[in-house]
Amino acid sequence: MDAVLSLFEGFTHALTPMNLLWVVVGCFLGTAVGVLPGLGSSMAVALLLPMTFALDPTGAFIMFAGVYFGGLFGDSTMAILMNTPGQASAIASTFEGHKMAKAGRAPQALATAAIGAFIGGFVSCFLVVFVAPLLAELSTSFGPAEYFALALFAFVATSSVVADSVLKGLMALVLGVGISVIGIDSVSGTERFTFGVPELFDGVSLVTVTVGILALGEVFFIASRIRRKANDNTINASGRPYLSRKEFGEALPAWLRGTAIGLPFGVIPVGGADVPTFMAYGLERKLDSRRKDPQFGKGAIRGLAGPEAAGSATTGIAMGALLALGLPISATAAIMLAAFRQYGLQPGPLLFDRSPELVWGLLASFFLAMIVLLIINLPFAPLWAKLLKIPDPYLYGGIAVFCGLGIYATSASTFELLVLLGIGIISFVLKRYGVPLAPLMIGMVLGPLAESSLRDALLASGNDASVLVSSPITIVLYIVLIGALVYTGVGRVLARRRQAASTTAKVEEPVS
Amino acid sequence: MSVQTQANTRTRTGHLGAGTWWEGRSGLIVPVIMAAFSTYLLVGILTMEVAEDADQPGPQFFPMLIMIVGYAITVLLTIAYIRNPEPVDVSDELPAEAEEEKAFSTPVTSAVSASRMDPHEEDEPSRDRQALAEARAADSKHRTHSDFVSLAWGAGGFAAFALILEFAGWIIAAALLFWCVARSMGSKKPLFDLTVALTFSSLVYIAFAVMLGLNLPSGILGGGF
Repeated sequence: MDAVLSLFEGFTHALTPMNLLWVVVGCFLGTAVGVLPGLGSSMAVALLLPMTFALDPTGAFIMFAGVYFGGLFGDSTMAILMNTPGQASAIASTFEGHKMAKAGRAPQALATAAIGAFIGGFVSCFLVVFVAPLLAELSTSFGPAEYFALALFAFVATSSVVADSVLKGLMALVLGVGISVIGIDSVSGTERFTFGVPELFDGVSLVTVTVGILALGEVFFIASRIRRKANDNTINASGRPYLSRKEFGEALPAWLRGTAIGLPFGVIPVGGADVPTFMAYGLERKLDSRRKDPQFGKGAIRGLAGPEAAGSATTGIAMGALLALGLPISATAAIMLAAFRQYGLQPGPLLFDRSPELVWGLLASFFLAMIVLLIINLPFAPLWAKLLKIPDPYLYGGIAVFCGLGIYATSASTFELLVLLGIGIISFVLKRYGVPLAPLMIGMVLGPLAESSLRDALLASGNDASVLVSSPITIVLYIVLIGALVYTGVGRVLARRRQAASTTAKVEEPVS
Repeated sequence: MSVQTQANTRTRTGHLGAGTWWEGRSGLIVPVIMAAFSTYLLVGILTMEVAEDADQPGPQFFPMLIMIVGYAITVLLTIAYIRNPEPVDVSDELPAEAEEEKAFSTPVTSAVSASRMDPHEEDEPSRDRQALAEARAADSKHRTHSDFVSLAWGAGGFAAFALILEFAGWIIAAALLFWCVARSMGSKKPLFDLTVALTFSSLVYIAFAVMLGLNLPSGILGGGF
């Protein structure tokens, strides 16, 4: 009951007019920045970080909460409308979400995303309040060997869920992990793969890679086939921004499943919300293919609802993990951690004792932020959708400028802009040949974790590789992994055989 | 990175020669990228200066694993592309795919493309046919597969932006980038575009540099703010 009392106390701090204002301002700014293509929630927090130093810590973090969640809402808005997710966690939403928008159901897609994010976020905030200590214990029982197994698990899961061709998925993964080893080695301090270029000492920034791959590469790709577009995919965004009873009924189980998938990932540092969103997407897709009339590929509402709820649930728990453990789960959480340090606060169990006002005020403001966001996103979804009426040349011109803006603002270097250009061009080539790009980003985010945990495990055991499979947790993880591999492998071979049989039959008929 | 782009153009030029061995095998650029990156790692590992007292496994251990896997994937991808000259397989860009598929469809390639996870393509034969016709019409004007002129405007515009940004300042550089990308997207109104571009870049400057205090270079127009 302590938690409830403290939470009520928190609400009394959060509900002062000034703090309420900061929540609303934060939500609005976060949504606006998140909506800008190529700028995700982590960039929203980074861009607005300097601004918040004018406020007192409680106000600043309350506003941060708004910006952070607002950025997530904005990310998925953009992912749905324009197929340009600002953050890796919004990629899974693009698959079905964008197809829904293309099929003329853009407002409903936005509503599905907003409600899904609301449900996931709300449930996770509740859990953070009550079971944060339990989750902390679970996470601290993980050692290097467990983390390595987890990273490996995430690698394989993404290259098999997203990739049609395992070979191409692995290729993207290797590129991503490879990029992540550039820079000064965190264990030994050795300079790696920099060839003396000082700009590379800190490695290639994840923001640069994300923007290059998702935004700039996309601009190039569209430019390269602008004149051969078969049909004009103008998206009609007007219409009812609410869901019919039937749609709601269809989305509800997916929201709940997504939330359930997303929650545990909030304390596991596998790079934030990307893995659970992909897992939720994969699950919905699997379930869908068993139905009589599979909706996936045509804009399935559940293919959007699942990942949205999962992403938001993970984010909520991740904020809890950051507060309770001082453990940054994602890039955004890492930026928040930096912000805490700016104020001389060290997140962790002690924070709850030292500044309960701030912690509980912040937790209370999560709930407020969720409600505010639902209010500004549900009725105004068609307004955000209006962004699509901008003619293509200006829209993509604008995206390109914002790519440059985001990267220059965070790095202030011409070199970083050229890296961005190079990554954009490579990602264009990969896109053209159907290489999936999500594994590249997963590899990049989790590469350092995989490397350091592998080395720590081997170091502690004196290069004895058996340490990797010595604990029950790792054994379970590897068994599940092998099981999943065999399962998808068998499924693929069977599908190929079936289709080969049907195409041979087709080829024998005369082709028009 | 420049190595990879050079190799890229070379392979593409090969692809332009219709009827040569390269036709349908331009995808070899993918293993070329992989090989180039693995080689980058190899050179980096060989030239790395590791302190002698570094703990084992050292900083070279993990990149070495990646490099080995990278080379293995290179070999496998190369074999895959040489054995099956593969049509472009970006599933949402139907025209190109349909066009190439018709040109050199073998039982093997159709089996491979049929195994892609897009179950609904077959349900829409009329859309397929229409897309095919449109692609052919477009191809009579543009022989190349990707529109490299457009691409060059986009990429060139960004390169120019990156290089002149600190000298010319945000407003001019960003306007140039905007204009180039708009042009690459097929806009036919250069003068009107220029107005839009300058307005846009100025608005961004006001919003982010003046109001949010981001560090954007004012360049030769500097001193105003």
